[in-house]
Amino acid sequence: MSTVEKQVMVVAVDDSEHSLYALSWTLDHFFVPFVSNSPFKLVVLHAKPYAATAVGLPGPAAAEILPSLESDLKRIAARVIEKANEICTSKSVNDVIYEVVEGDARNVLCDAVEKHHASVLVVGSHGYGAIKRAVLGSVSDYCAHHAHCSVMIVKKPKIKH
Amino acid sequence: MTLYIWLCWGKSLEKRKNMETGAKAEEQEQKQGQKMRVMVAVDESEESFYALQWTLDNLSNGITATNEPTMESGMLCLVHVQQPFHPAVYPLGPGGAAFYTPPAVMESVKKGQEGNSVAIVSRGAKMCSEKMIKSETLILEGDPKDMICQAIEQMHVDLLVVGSRGLGKIKRAFLGSVSDYCAHHAKCPILIVKPPKETTSKQ
Repeated sequence: MSTVEKQVMVVAVDDSEHSLYALSWTLDHFFVPFVSNSPFKLVVLHAKPYAATAVGLPGPAAAEILPSLESDLKRIAARVIEKANEICTSKSVNDVIYEVVEGDARNVLCDAVEKHHASVLVVGSHGYGAIKRAVLGSVSDYCAHHAHCSVMIVKKPKIKH
Repeated sequence: MTLYIWLCWGKSLEKRKNMETGAKAEEQEQKQGQKMRVMVAVDESEESFYALQWTLDNLSNGITATNEPTMESGMLCLVHVQQPFHPAVYPLGPGGAAFYTPPAVMESVKKGQEGNSVAIVSRGAKMCSEKMIKSETLILEGDPKDMICQAIEQMHVDLLVVGSRGLGKIKRAFLGSVSDYCAHHAKCPILIVKPPKETTSKQ
């Protein structure tokens, strides 16, 4: 079954260690062993939150902070993509598409899956317990339920104390 | 105050130590060539077999990773967890008379279950051999969620693959979801394979 069209794998990254670990793990297991002949095409996606939603303050206070917050978010996004790029090039994986899409991470990821006709979505996981998950929300949880493709949740192994 | 400083220093030392050992462990892994040990959980559902098929189709390269058959290639491990048959004591009838399952019935149910498990696992093994992948089969008994998570730890699995029935939130809460539980509690990365859209009737 040799298909010319490669399957698309979307890896979601954000500023956390967990997602960069997920990217690294995915590269190690799905791209590095194949030495540039991987059966997957890699798309690295960063969802940049809207400045307006990121700040919770209503009214005039928000308007003052918004511009600096916006530039902050842009800087973070650029840094995240840079780090992802570093990881990819250090593992000699060069055929990568990097994308930054603005919006809520959950929707951005699910939309990207549709857009790229991805067959696998890879996300990291903060390893929150049930309560934190309920309060903070979990992108990996949402994607596992709602994405239309297979979802791989990569966890950073906890150092046992 | 000094105790606080000492604690912080102690913690940072620990972190450094862990980082060092972590780095060493990573190096070792890289030398081994990243052959993945993949575990696929199968049950009677078609979705889990679809997950197995998907794994064979797409991850077979990751598992074997080299063309040399002599090297110890990664293994595909098929695990089936048989739910124990509880001799259910359900009060039936107006008087609340309990219904006890006679031992003979229990025996035959148990045999039937075992036969079922073997059939499932051998179907999976056949699929693997068709793709020329070495597989190891494992039949466990107990609560699927716990048994799978335990098996992962004991067998040092790199990736767990599960199917997903595509249950909605409510069904999930009532029927329970093994894939959900494993996604939260398994110590290794988990791949949830969903059946292609055409087969799912509801979202």
